[in-house]
Amino acid sequence: MEKIKTLKFSELENLLEGIQKPGRYVNHEVGTKSKDISKIADFSSMVFMALIFPDIYEIGMPNLGLPILYEIINKIKYFSAERVFSPWIDFEKKLRDRKVKLFSLENRIFLDCFDVLGFSVQHEMLCTNILNIIDMSGLKIHSKERGGRFPLVCAGGPAVVNPQPLSKFMDFMVIGDGEELTIKILEKVKTYKKSSKGKLWFLKEISKLDGVYVPGLYKFYYFKDGKISDIKPFLKVKKETVKDLNKFDIVLNPVIPNIKPVHDRFAVEIMRGCSRGCRFCQAGIIYRPVRQRNVNSLIENSICGIKNTGYDEISFMSLSTADYKDIGCLLEGVAGFMNLNKISVSLPSLRVDSFNLHLAELIGSGRRTGLTFAPEAGSQRMRDIINKDISEEEIIDCIKVAFKNGWEKIKLYFMIGFPFEEDEDIEQIVLLIKKITNTAKDALPKRNFRRFKINVSINAFCPKPFTPFQWVGQDSTGSLVKKFNYIVKNVPKKFVQISWSNPQASKIESALSKGDSSVGDAIEKAWRKGAKFDNWTDMFSYKIWEEAFKESGLDINFFATREILPDEILPWDIIDIGTSKKFLFNEYEKSRKCSRVQNKI
Amino acid sequence: MKNQENAAGFKIRFKFYKKDEYKYLSHLNIVNIITRALRRAGIKTKYSCGYRPKPKINFSNPTPLGVDSFAEYCDVVILEDIEECEFLSAVNLELVPQMMATRAKKIDIKSASISSDISVCLYCFELDAASSTVNFINEFTESVKNNIKSKSDFSSSIFDMMVKTSNENIIFVKLYGYVKIFKNLNNEIFKFNNFLEFFQNWIKKYNIINISYIKKEEIYIFKDNTLKTPMEII
Ligand code: SF4
Repeated sequence: MEKIKTLKFSELENLLEGIQKPGRYVNHEVGTKSKDISKIADFSSMVFMALIFPDIYEIGMPNLGLPILYEIINKIKYFSAERVFSPWIDFEKKLRDRKVKLFSLENRIFLDCFDVLGFSVQHEMLCTNILNIIDMSGLKIHSKERGGRFPLVCAGGPAVVNPQPLSKFMDFMVIGDGEELTIKILEKVKTYKKSSKGKLWFLKEISKLDGVYVPGLYKFYYFKDGKISDIKPFLKVKKETVKDLNKFDIVLNPVIPNIKPVHDRFAVEIMRGCSRGCRFCQAGIIYRPVRQRNVNSLIENSICGIKNTGYDEISFMSLSTADYKDIGCLLEGVAGFMNLNKISVSLPSLRVDSFNLHLAELIGSGRRTGLTFAPEAGSQRMRDIINKDISEEEIIDCIKVAFKNGWEKIKLYFMIGFPFEEDEDIEQIVLLIKKITNTAKDALPKRNFRRFKINVSINAFCPKPFTPFQWVGQDSTGSLVKKFNYIVKNVPKKFVQISWSNPQASKIESALSKGDSSVGDAIEKAWRKGAKFDNWTDMFSYKIWEEAFKESGLDINFFATREILPDEILPWDIIDIGTSKKFLFNEYEKSRKCSRVQNKI
Repeated sequence: MKNQENAAGFKIRFKFYKKDEYKYLSHLNIVNIITRALRRAGIKTKYSCGYRPKPKINFSNPTPLGVDSFAEYCDVVILEDIEECEFLSAVNLELVPQMMATRAKKIDIKSASISSDISVCLYCFELDAASSTVNFINEFTESVKNNIKSKSDFSSSIFDMMVKTSNENIIFVKLYGYVKIFKNLNNEIFKFNNFLEFFQNWIKKYNIINISYIKKEEIYIFKDNTLKTPMEII
């Protein structure tokens, strides 16, 4: 019988001495569902999967997808899923110094004893953490060099819709919704485990499933200048889609984190997908089609989930909550129970306007968190280019009403570096901020003046795969900095607080999101030079990445800032995301003419 | 409904332990875990009035991270009367074996808050000694008394310190440290982590390398010149 190796509690205790927040590494939270391995007689008929979120516990725990897979897998008696998060640098050092391999949270199983290691990749800046975890498991980071039949290493999540940058390291990758596909794959793993067949047999088997991309089965050919000349075989992998979300109940008994996560609340997905068609937005394309959950079961399950978990906050999640057709009904349905039990309700992506302000009022949380608008651009021209359906008038009207009713905080989101952007578009951002400030001041009772603040967040636009702007080259760092400085200099400082993303980090993000498999070399080099937690502002080092690209013989600009020609083969062309390249290109063409289509796609 | 919210309610004091994995959770984490467990158990807690109402829950002083504790206390004001044993089983159903409530008692709604009342905290250590001859033990005991209790940096923060042995070369140390300042005693607050570091060094003189089991055993309140546990006082 195979034996699964685990770390004893006493050994963990030795490791935890002097470690920051040791609660990150101990188990027995309420709601864990992994199998009790002391009760398993025959490991060969079981499949063990590690669900790995390559960031720390506090950030990984609030993720919506992980608990869904955890629940679905652990419901089946011959499957067991355990959670893994990135150890923080102090604990990593301890583990490496003492030569202890990384282990899972629940049973402290060493990762190399699992059958499947599955990474959830929420954004590109987690790539180095992924390599770090594979390495800390005692495994070779390259798929080709991992000789044995197990563990199989795979990745899924929004950042692998272009699977190429991580393709060298993964045995297979999962594109699209995981609910049904994960089980299909694990069933195949079970068969594979029982058999004596080789890894290649298994990979070929699962490559027949929609949503499974096996990098090893494809060959990419390149022109001298680095562009792709051919992909063989040119068989597209179709994104997996769960047609009816209602088939899977929301997770009513999630693991309740023992240490405080970044969002400490009961999160409920009410809808998947968004049809607004903003041309810069990747989520809007890759999560299509829009699927809504049934409102009655949502009401019932929300109340049930709050009772089960004891949380004092519930959050209704979606890409665009105002588009959920029964949002009013949902809020009315839960308001009584939530108010009575002092549960606050939050709607993180509710697009507030004067029509639905009453929704925010209904849940009462609005005044505290403030009004949030994401006009993204300052000028109507630019909002037409990016197809962002929000007008200045709408924002101003909404503020007038809200501020008369006691609201006093505003948060605004803008992006700079859009295609076809001109100086005037940047000037218009400043003007819009000024207008909003003045409107708010006029509507605000005098005595509340002092407290009044507008938070403005400015991000550098990153062109992403599967968007109409995928062909666009990112604006240069120098130009982004200039635009940002202009905005900072010209907004009324007294009321406005500006934050912005590091443009150098955005550039790396662009390169990683649009890269081909050669970018994997840069990721590996960066990791070997110590890059990790690249999404943490104080951990990111542009110098490391610059060197890593250079030493890999690659030009960051080739991937990030270069305008891609319409007839080029794109690294992600091998994936069928459900929206055609032609459609995306047409949208790009329309944006060139500043023409807007609404709610069409 | 309104009546219930305005009513004074009932105050329950319960004692719980946290050990093994749960000793690595901070005080703030424990507060959250207990608060949520109470809500899951369906125990209706009274809330403070105001902009952001807070449940009326009060905890005894934090235990240092990594130390097993068998003396955590919590006072909670609830809206509906409940039997003590019923309260206990309802709460424990929502907790894990690493952290459970051991006793519950209804107390006067006006009684002082537990955190402000606690005066002394009892920590226990087990030392693996190389020998437990009478001579050795006597010498060690004397030294603890003369050096640590009366002449160390920690003297004014230690209420009492006692040493006992077993046949298995284990020395049990009981240390009562102050957690509250008393003007007339001119005392200081006992700093556990600093003491532990000092003590680990100090015992090396006696060829003791290992402190094997550290726990917080009880907390006490000064009353009528004696130490009473939070359960005895009520
Ligand atoms: S509203 Fe626009 S930006 Fe937001 S999710 Fe939908 S498409 Fe994306």
